[in-house]
Amino acid sequence: MSSSLTINELTPERSKDGTVTVPVLQVSGRLDTHTVSILEKAMSQAMAKNVKSLVLEMSGLTYVSSSGLRALLMARREARERKGTIMLCALTPQVRDVFDMVGFTSLFDIRDTLENGRTALI
Amino acid sequence: MMLKEMRVNAEASQLLNLASFAAVAAKEAGFDHKQTWRIELAVDEACANIIEHAYKGKNGGLITLKIAIEPNKWMQIVVEDQGNGFDPSKIPSVLPVTSLENTRVGGMGVHIIRTIMDEVKFEFKIPYVGNRLTMIKKV
Repeated sequence: MSSSLTINELTPERSKDGTVTVPVLQVSGRLDTHTVSILEKAMSQAMAKNVKSLVLEMSGLTYVSSSGLRALLMARREARERKGTIMLCALTPQVRDVFDMVGFTSLFDIRDTLENGRTALI
Repeated sequence: MMLKEMRVNAEASQLLNLASFAAVAAKEAGFDHKQTWRIELAVDEACANIIEHAYKGKNGGLITLKIAIEPNKWMQIVVEDQGNGFDPSKIPSVLPVTSLENTRVGGMGVHIIRTIMDEVKFEFKIPYVGNRLTMIKKV
């Protein structure tokens, strides 16, 4: 038995004039030392497309350990260097619990739903 | 009192087995869903630290997980390895988080363990054992 993490690329958010594109990744499963490279690769690919910000839909993420937190923190820093952000949407109670434990809640843009996250960025 | 034990190779692919083993025991001890999940996380962090720091990602090492439970009273979790012990007391606290720049990427696992557990004790280079982390959580 080993952990698994699934990333689905959803329809990106685009501004009306087409100048701004924000990729949206749906993250599901278990984010730990064993699976963190999957998320790192997906975020890196999404951010490589000349974008500044990224939305992560996390309603299916049932577990996150400090390995996952580190990956999210590094991505947040990268986005900030580009004058963008990482928007986290629909956190499960477990993920919110870990965020509160390490004080991450104040470092990220967190929205209750994906729709709220999409509209906030464009 | 009930005793349980498992020994696995110190590999990231084993983390779910170790954490799940602890979660099943936590339920048997009488912890609710939230505390069971937190105990699972603490064991995950402890074992991930061993893989990353004690064995430095090298294959061939072992992790032994020993659990004692007194239902509806407490749960003791012991994690042993034979790698290079690292002293978490030398790691500064990750809190308080003041800004994105100042947030440390290291030490979060140990902070999570200390937050979740009631008692945490690290011992190093014990003869015939190696390194031992003992964690106790009261129901």
